[in-house]
Amino acid sequence: MKLINGEKGSVYKIEKINLNKNVKRRLESIGMTENSTISILNKKKNGAVIIRIRGTRFAMGKIFAEGIQIGGAINEL
Amino acid sequence: MSYDYNIAFIGNPNCGKTTLFNYYTGANLKTANWPGVTVEKKEGMIEYKGERFGIVDLPGIYSLTYYTLEERVSRKYILDDKPDVIVDVIDASSLERNLYLALQLIEMGEPVVIALNMIDIVEKRGMKIDTKKLSNILNVPIVPVSARKKTGLDILENLISDIVHRKKETDKYNDYNVEGNENHFYSYDIENKIDAITKRLKDKFPYMRNYRWYAIKFLEKDSEINETYSIGLEDIVDKNYESEIIHQKYDFIEKIISDVLINKNEKSVVSDKVDGIFTHNFFGLPIFLVIMAAVFLLTFTIGDYLKVFMEEWLTYFSDFVLEIMKNMNLSDFICSLVIDGIVAGVGGIITFLPNIVILFIALAFLEDSGYMARVAYIMDGIMGKIGLSGKAFIPMILGFGCTVPAIMASRTLENWSDRIRTILITPFMSCSARLPVYVIISDIFFGKYAPLAAYSMYIIGIIVAVVIALILNKFDNTKKTNSLLIELPEYKIPDLHSVFIYVWEKVKDYLIKAGTTIFIASVILWFLLNFGFDGFSENIENSFGAEIGKILVPIMTPIGLGYWQIIVALISGIAAKEVVVSSFSVLFSINNISSSEGMSRLSEIFNSSGFGMVNAYSFMLFCLLYIPCVATIGTIKKETGSFKWVAVSIGIQLGAAWGTAFLFYHILSFFS
Repeated sequence: MKLINGEKGSVYKIEKINLNKNVKRRLESIGMTENSTISILNKKKNGAVIIRIRGTRFAMGKIFAEGIQIGGAINEL
Repeated sequence: MSYDYNIAFIGNPNCGKTTLFNYYTGANLKTANWPGVTVEKKEGMIEYKGERFGIVDLPGIYSLTYYTLEERVSRKYILDDKPDVIVDVIDASSLERNLYLALQLIEMGEPVVIALNMIDIVEKRGMKIDTKKLSNILNVPIVPVSARKKTGLDILENLISDIVHRKKETDKYNDYNVEGNENHFYSYDIENKIDAITKRLKDKFPYMRNYRWYAIKFLEKDSEINETYSIGLEDIVDKNYESEIIHQKYDFIEKIISDVLINKNEKSVVSDKVDGIFTHNFFGLPIFLVIMAAVFLLTFTIGDYLKVFMEEWLTYFSDFVLEIMKNMNLSDFICSLVIDGIVAGVGGIITFLPNIVILFIALAFLEDSGYMARVAYIMDGIMGKIGLSGKAFIPMILGFGCTVPAIMASRTLENWSDRIRTILITPFMSCSARLPVYVIISDIFFGKYAPLAAYSMYIIGIIVAVVIALILNKFDNTKKTNSLLIELPEYKIPDLHSVFIYVWEKVKDYLIKAGTTIFIASVILWFLLNFGFDGFSENIENSFGAEIGKILVPIMTPIGLGYWQIIVALISGIAAKEVVVSSFSVLFSINNISSSEGMSRLSEIFNSSGFGMVNAYSFMLFCLLYIPCVATIGTIKKETGSFKWVAVSIGIQLGAAWGTAFLFYHILSFFS
């Protein structure tokens, strides 16, 4: 499923990043690599999310949240 | 200026580089708690044990690839200017992510020192970092510091000095071929390819520094390196290995973290709890609006209360100067120039200092607390409707302070189309220089509704910005592939020292502006208004200023501003918006324009010429929306690099100002 469909307060594993190359590299440089874990701290109706990745919080907009493929929840926060 | 050694400060955004830089160089560069505060590299100097160290503060970056403007600036500096030591400032509370850049820097093979900043925050959370072990693994020296609490900073200074001296010794014997502090953590396959490329590079470029780094860049198909050095490597680099290299770096970092981080703490910290309120899906936006309303309420109420004291002082000062000049038997000409031109023009502006100070204290708190980055998230949905990401709202808020740094802050936006649109709408956010105009005009014409009239300017400014953004969005055909991405730093209690620096720099700018731009504009204006084709004349109607203003009367009449004095004030306001107010002082020779006597005189003058409430509102609107000031124009030129965008920007501003004023003038005239 997509990150945008994830539940607030759950932890997921990133499976794939389906975004253009430049965006993908930017996400990877902040540690958002495939197989890493991502927690959803908050999400808004418009699709923006607050996530935690490798110990750091980021706010992320809809287009990016739609392009990130995640597996089923592996944990609750 | 030449230094004995050059030191570069580099690190992730918001890791405290600038705080360190300020400490060492005694500079007062702006620091705040949101990523991207430093957009340009800044230089400074320290003297340590009789030697001069040049220090460069580079913009914050997450990686040394070549994708963003800041990354290019930082990487180019390291490659071309070859600093003697690179100080990698690491935010210990985000160690894992910060180590990624550290690994890249170490790979470059230049001497790296890690300043492990914010170590106090980590310890407060009950975590510990085994710095000795970390230093052994990475093979670079590490100094735990706290830039805010000023601990460990002398140790870092001493270490830097040691390293440059040791480096000087080794460089004597080994000018080139500096081997990096190599960590061979990549997979067998990649390490083999690195070796193979290294071998070929050594044959072709015997004088290259650090082959390993270049080899890795070739494997990543780095655009810059591949364009600069063309050697046939197709047999080795059979595909782009960038993604694998990134992954393996992070795998290595995970291993390091599990080795050096003790009591890794994943449970929710205070910031998460605070975020539960501030970024709440329902309450987040109302809270933000209340905060902004409070900022302006404080600015107007407390500011106006304090302004009275400034006015008393100005009256006293003006009388005092006049007294002295009379005793010196100076001519009327000189007395008029000093009292009506300089004291009235410049002094009238200085009385607004309390309002300005309060506004900037409020903005400093917003920026230094960490709230600013959250605003980007809160506003993301609304900004999305006008085709911009929530991040574009940060420059817009800064625009309430001063348009110039606000436009520069648009650099944190990743793509050009977002940037240019943000640059075009930011000038509509009502900056502090426009505040004196609202205070004077609304006090004269709107009585007890004065604060409301002034507030409405801020709201209308935002509405115009939104409308313009919508129109620009219609013209913009680029597909939206970009989205908000901003780090949300830990909240912190604003640091009084940073707030003080922030406000003091603004006050200094304001006073310098009063002493230079406004001073010169007042003097020029005085000449234009007191001289005509017949020479020095008491009759202002015959002055050069009047002649210029009268030419434009037909254009300004449809919006209720067909008075040559008003037009002269508006033209001179292009130098700086405050000049609009000081030009009233000069135009109508009122010494203390912001005092109640000054205002009632101005009010009489206005009333006798049929300039009423509706005209006044139209005037405020025009001031809000037309060309902010020459400094803004200069900044737009610098940031866009083209006169075309300067022209577009001025066109939009004049059009919006005239159009909006026209609309309101006619609607309000209809009802009154």
